[in-house]
Amino acid sequence: MEPSRSRNPDQPVRSRYADDPTMSAIVARFAAALPERSNHLKKALLEANIEDLHSLAHQLKGTAGGYGFDSISSAAADLEMETMSLEADLAMVRERVEDITVLCTAASRD
Amino acid sequence: MPDLQSPPLPPPPRLLVVDDSELIHRLLKVRLQFERIEIETASSSEEALRRIKEFEPDVILMDIDLGVGDPMDGFEILSEIKSDSATRDIAVIFISGSTETMDRVRALELGAIDFIGKPFEVVELKARIRSALRVRSMVRILAQKARIDGLTGLWNRAYFDARMEEELNAAGRHGRPLSLILCDLDAFKVLNDKHGHPFGDEVLERFAQILGAGRSSDIACRYGGEEFALILPDTDREQALQAAERARWAIEGERWPEHSGLTVTASFGVSQYRVDLDQAMMVTAADQALYRAKELGRNRVEHAQPDLDERLIA
Repeated sequence: MEPSRSRNPDQPVRSRYADDPTMSAIVARFAAALPERSNHLKKALLEANIEDLHSLAHQLKGTAGGYGFDSISSAAADLEMETMSLEADLAMVRERVEDITVLCTAASRD
Repeated sequence: MPDLQSPPLPPPPRLLVVDDSELIHRLLKVRLQFERIEIETASSSEEALRRIKEFEPDVILMDIDLGVGDPMDGFEILSEIKSDSATRDIAVIFISGSTETMDRVRALELGAIDFIGKPFEVVELKARIRSALRVRSMVRILAQKARIDGLTGLWNRAYFDARMEEELNAAGRHGRPLSLILCDLDAFKVLNDKHGHPFGDEVLERFAQILGAGRSSDIACRYGGEEFALILPDTDREQALQAAERARWAIEGERWPEHSGLTVTASFGVSQYRVDLDQAMMVTAADQALYRAKELGRNRVEHAQPDLDERLIA
């Protein structure tokens, strides 16, 4: 799964369940809403609201994993770790948010 | 034509999902659609507590954090579930993205049966739900068949009722004395509220051990909540009062390492069999004596007939 975490915007991000007929409809719906979720992250980043970033990352880690987007889930877990403390390193946090944004955009396109 | 080969299936087990995320509700409904499980969802603590009463789930899958707007978290809901005898046997599985070891420990200490991390693998989730359902049905069968109280290991109320009848008949037939002690932990609700349900359970278990450590012929039962009963065959008034006094002394002298300086006490009511008393009257007599012990300041033993002439007994 690790290679899909590279920031190559052309690399497709697909759900493990994309071809599962029982799952494809709700997976597509989830994927379509992913850019909105990364926008929430970006907004919180602009406001330097570490608490919000932490809680959004926590939620995204759980839901993205459940919907089969392992790379997004693990990127969100990294962001969750990075925002454990209110004195988080903003440069690192920004990088993690960018990782997630790239992945979310790619997933919604697929 | 009716199909005689397959008997009707029992109703499917019921699962309640408590999570503030609609995405998780939708996901679980789809992922578990081929399981023979009826699924309902709740998004808040208020909705969860209402659905638990109406839907009567066998298993609850619950998140710890229900969002900033919710006055309760999963732990507090679990405490509510465990403090009500109508709901305390529901198997609660926590499902949370928390990586904190202490969250897992706390959930299990409060009475959760399992803890699943988020994101979860569906095969694992299904296996854990099945396992929880198995445990739940085993506990139910054992409680019915063995008539043993699940927490304390003492006989339960149903056994008490049946055994009291037997002992009363035997005492009447053979002209032997029979005593009954009803006892109740003092201010147990305050203790529970102040120190938490896990400690309350520990106190119940310890008191049960004290009551169960008497003579092998004594029959110790959990009568309900924090109330216990001791049936004492072949035991006269003096011996019964002594037995009650020993238990009163033992629980008062118990030390609680996690709460140094704390003293837990209990009150006791004692009654004796007489030919003109039936089972209900004997229980009522002990209960009234117990009530008097509470009224007179708790941590004491009272007899149902304090001024009764010894010659009238048995």
